[in-house]
Amino acid sequence: MSDQELRDELKAPTEPLLPIEKKLIGWSLGIGVTLLVLLAVVNHFLPVS
Amino acid sequence: MSEAIASLRAAEPRRFGEDGLAVLVGIGVLILALVSLYGRDLLGWAVTTAVWTDPAKALGAVSKVYAGLGGAGALAATYVALLVVLSAGAAALGGDVKKFAIAFTFVFVLAYASWFVGSWAYVAAVTPADQAKFGVSWSLRLTNEGGYIVALIAGLVIANFFPRFADWLKEAIRPELYIKIAIVLLGAFIAVTAAGKLTLASSLLLRGVAAIVEAYLIYWAVVYYIARKWFGFSREWAAPLASGVSICGVAAAIATGGAIRARPQVAVLVSSLVVVFAVVEVLILPFLAQTFLSSQPLVAAAWIGLAVKTDGAAVAAGGITESLVLAKAAAEGIAYQPGWLIAVTTTVKVFIDIFIGVWAFILAYVWTNHIDVKPDAEKARPSEIWARFPKFVLGFVATFVAGLALALGGAGPKLAAAVGEANTFRIIFFILTFFSIGVLTDFRKLWREGLGKLAAVYLVSLFGFVIWVGLIISWLFFAGVKPPLVG
Repeated sequence: MSDQELRDELKAPTEPLLPIEKKLIGWSLGIGVTLLVLLAVVNHFLPVS
Repeated sequence: MSEAIASLRAAEPRRFGEDGLAVLVGIGVLILALVSLYGRDLLGWAVTTAVWTDPAKALGAVSKVYAGLGGAGALAATYVALLVVLSAGAAALGGDVKKFAIAFTFVFVLAYASWFVGSWAYVAAVTPADQAKFGVSWSLRLTNEGGYIVALIAGLVIANFFPRFADWLKEAIRPELYIKIAIVLLGAFIAVTAAGKLTLASSLLLRGVAAIVEAYLIYWAVVYYIARKWFGFSREWAAPLASGVSICGVAAAIATGGAIRARPQVAVLVSSLVVVFAVVEVLILPFLAQTFLSSQPLVAAAWIGLAVKTDGAAVAAGGITESLVLAKAAAEGIAYQPGWLIAVTTTVKVFIDIFIGVWAFILAYVWTNHIDVKPDAEKARPSEIWARFPKFVLGFVATFVAGLALALGGAGPKLAAAVGEANTFRIIFFILTFFSIGVLTDFRKLWREGLGKLAAVYLVSLFGFVIWVGLIISWLFFAGVKPPLVG
């Protein structure tokens, strides 16, 4: 891929976010935050000895 | 572009390739070291470097049994052994053995010379007591592991000022291979360290799980959104970029590129960015950790594992961070046991690595079934999980289990000495990794290839989000947990 091709490609019109992409982002963040909260709770009740 | 191609080549093998070779070499070295438990020292000739003011007294064999070799003899023996083993490895990987052997000779000499310079008392001495001991009035206080930084800078100088020489060395510039061997060896070292404080070690393992959640579910989603929504990247570019910034750099970018069926050039260009930014992080973050996190050593270690991308840069940066943080604590009269910080950094990184295959499969499923649906195209298959699994992790687990079993079985000081000899090779592979990463990093390529926009996403995500969230999570899970004290 030449420099010019790359520049042209990166300037191409934006592809809108599809519903499936929004779902992927949303579910990832939702599950991630929930798991981190759960782990933090476990961390709190099982302190390092 | 050569560094990106090399990165791609290094990250590709999820079959038997560099991963398999790393496991064989790492386990082979450990087995030879463990023979000393039965009274025969087979690896004591390996070279080690002490902090020095008189260069003639700097080098020596790691074991007194081989003291007769002298420093030069130990260095020569180490070079020959590595040359033979790695040349055989290059042959097994289908490389040009003659080219590899010649290039490796230069790589070894330059990398070890950097380590030697880094062990000079004016560079390495840390405490006023050390300075008095070596008779120096000042020093850079980098510890003798500052040699890693010297090796990295030497590599950067070659890449950016002598690009033809860098290109000529490329056959032996294999940072992923070197660091994977080092990580396999690290398994036994961590086991011996952990065996004395098993409860603490298992608590730290539990906390390492947070890193997996953070990398795959938090970082990836946010970076993908930033790349798509704020910077307008296409899906083909945004997904490998998000994996490169969020997970473990080059390997993740390549795995994601394959999973979403992106053109190979996309992963190559993203990989070249990953290497450049990893170098910037290695040069900055350990010193920030020493300055601001020395009162929370394990927070610093976990943060490095989460923030620095690519296995090589992260684990090696963990080594530097351990030296710097422990040196600062020692200057304040606190003597932490060595090994715990690098154990946390490595655990965080290995935990993240393990799930690359699973994540790639999820992305492949979403892309082939919902985004890039083609009637005749091959759909995602569960076998991709194993195909993309980083096999060197199995070597790490094997040496960890073996080391732990022997330590708990009462092998004691003899085991520590044996693993110490294997650890000498781990340090040498770290040095080779740092030098190799430097040689792969030509900063000018960024602009020549028109990667400014990609670099902007990386910069915004890494320094605006990833390192700060990593710091918060590391603090949340590791604050207040201290490594055991010496004695």
